[in-house]
Amino acid sequence: MKKTISFMLVSLLFVMALAGCGGGTKDTNSEPAASGGGDSKPAGEKVKLEFFQNKPEAKASFDELVKKFNEANPNITITQVNPPDAETVLKTRVAKKDVPDIIGLGATDTYAQLAKSGLFEDLSGNSLKDNIQPAYLNMLNKLTGSETVYGIPFTANASGVIYNKKMFDELGLTIPKTWDELLATAQKVKDAGKTAFYLTVKDSWTTMVPFNSLSTDILGIDFYAERAGGKVKFDSPEFREVAEKQLKLLDYGEKDLYGKGYNDGNTAFAKGESAMYLQGVWAIPEILKANPDAELGVFPFPATNDEARNKVISGVDTLLAISKNTKHPEEAKKFIEFLLQPENVQAFIDEQKAFSAVKGVNQSDAIVQGFNGAFESGAIEDFSDHYIPGAVKADTIIQGFLQKKDIDAYVKQFDKEWDKVAARK
Amino acid sequence: MAKRKAAFYSMTIPALLLFFAFHTFPTLQGIFYSFTNWDGYSDGYDFVGFKNFAALFQDENVLNAYLFTFKYAIVVTILINVISLLIALGLNARIKFRNFFRGVYFLPNVLGVLIVGYIFNYIFANAIPKLGEMLGSETLAINILGSEQWAWIGIVIVAVWQGIAFNTILYLAGLQTIPRDLYEASDIDGAGKWQTFWSITFPMLAAFFTINMVLAMKNSLMVFDQIVALTGGGPGRATQSIAMLIYQGGFQGGEFAYQSANAVIYFIVIVVISVFQLKFLQKREMDA
Repeated sequence: MKKTISFMLVSLLFVMALAGCGGGTKDTNSEPAASGGGDSKPAGEKVKLEFFQNKPEAKASFDELVKKFNEANPNITITQVNPPDAETVLKTRVAKKDVPDIIGLGATDTYAQLAKSGLFEDLSGNSLKDNIQPAYLNMLNKLTGSETVYGIPFTANASGVIYNKKMFDELGLTIPKTWDELLATAQKVKDAGKTAFYLTVKDSWTTMVPFNSLSTDILGIDFYAERAGGKVKFDSPEFREVAEKQLKLLDYGEKDLYGKGYNDGNTAFAKGESAMYLQGVWAIPEILKANPDAELGVFPFPATNDEARNKVISGVDTLLAISKNTKHPEEAKKFIEFLLQPENVQAFIDEQKAFSAVKGVNQSDAIVQGFNGAFESGAIEDFSDHYIPGAVKADTIIQGFLQKKDIDAYVKQFDKEWDKVAARK
Repeated sequence: MAKRKAAFYSMTIPALLLFFAFHTFPTLQGIFYSFTNWDGYSDGYDFVGFKNFAALFQDENVLNAYLFTFKYAIVVTILINVISLLIALGLNARIKFRNFFRGVYFLPNVLGVLIVGYIFNYIFANAIPKLGEMLGSETLAINILGSEQWAWIGIVIVAVWQGIAFNTILYLAGLQTIPRDLYEASDIDGAGKWQTFWSITFPMLAAFFTINMVLAMKNSLMVFDQIVALTGGGPGRATQSIAMLIYQGGFQGGEFAYQSANAVIYFIVIVVISVFQLKFLQKREMDA
């Protein structure tokens, strides 16, 4: 008995020591990567650069490109860093002045804030941007409110509705082009005893996907600039229409829609548990991972009954920026130049089902053909939430609203939070 | 004598320096930033005086976070102390495999909070709803973390499950300091189990009760990791603790200075509560 006690105590201590080590090694691992760019090494030695990017879905694709680059450039070593909740991690690192050398980021409010604070190198005069589609460069300029180029668009995304082709065939459904048709389609699925939309309200950011379509199509993208100028309010008939439609979608969701998250949704939709899934193309690789045989298609989210107003929501999914403080700007530019080469962009977008921001590279995947018409005719518009200040926490407000279902309180809360944040600036 | 003093200083000074560098200095920095309008990433900032503090008192999200945190902390503190005292009494009794059980009950303390949180997240999302479906229970068949009304209970369960490990050890240590002869005397006087507990065990544990109450309260007032792993503060703001609000607003929202002010106020609140708790409970120790 005595022996077992001491054995147990020793093993307990051992476990504790291990746990301690575990935490420690993780830290030390990230440290050299973090400060790697800061070390100025004599010529001939390896230059170490950190490439920080925010898309967990794209980790493997970037790993391959990084590997290819490292092999072709023996004197440069790029390390990819992709932590969970990357945007917040990036902000905390910026707060302690530990900015990664190369940053891959979506064109979000975070990017706008960081760019405005002068964190990124000015790439306006650089040839990197020459081969980029001007529409995406303009989108970034609109976001930062300046003509200076701080980030090079790499890929674009598109969000709308992903649907299960097999289920649509079985139920004899066609692609809805208007809001009424969308509801009719959903009703038919419901009548057949199946789930129309697999909603993932537990992860608040996923509620932004239908919101962005509804808001951009119904209110127009300039609504938020006008709100900032005090010309419009959330408490308006137009925004109430958005709110009503947000609630309407809940009628066609699965049973425990408040308890399901993004990962649950990807898996469930892949297994055919719903006919439609309100997500962007970034979810497709994850869905195919869960079920490689899933037959998927996409169509623009029909937010209104006027077909011409129903746009595909598309923004810069990944843009590439260089830290102003990096010790090796030339090597960093070399890496970005490498990523922008058509063959590398092609490889990346083929895996990610994303769209290219580089001229002459096209997305030919059958799954996302449903968006090509919109891209060709220019029926695309940016995400609304890129223009909502982060501190307003739109996703939190929406998640709360979907539980309480009180439209009056919702529109007032949006106005109140917006004004509070503006007053604190 | 001087030699001994040098030895004592050499033992305390490194710890003091580390404490200052990693605790006191950041605290002072936080207080400094709370008087600015720094967003957390810009190069420059201006001093705004008490503007941030004034805004705090008009922000109902702050009030909401305080209400949630205190509701949570009080429930968790009570549950942890009751359960861990019961477990400690059991583990102190003459039972088979006593040391094995002591090891088992201590294990949760060794596991990382986030790991435990993600495991429970899976249990709440998948295992319990499946069980609920099998039993035909509507209430069990949904993920409670997705319910605005009940999500906080899920966090309480996880925090208590993990929190009792450490408090049990402290109570167990306390129980072993109680002299045997007191029990023998009460036995001879014919006291029942219940009377023995209230008249001997509990009063003799007073000091341990104090420290356990203070530690459990302090830990649950600063609840953060469990929430990150379980709900992210949602649904809506239903489980947004003060620490969570400071983190989300400060870093995700780019309001570093404003949330620093929030943190300063919260620091003061926690100090006041801890001092009050110690004073009150120590007085009780004296009376007993």
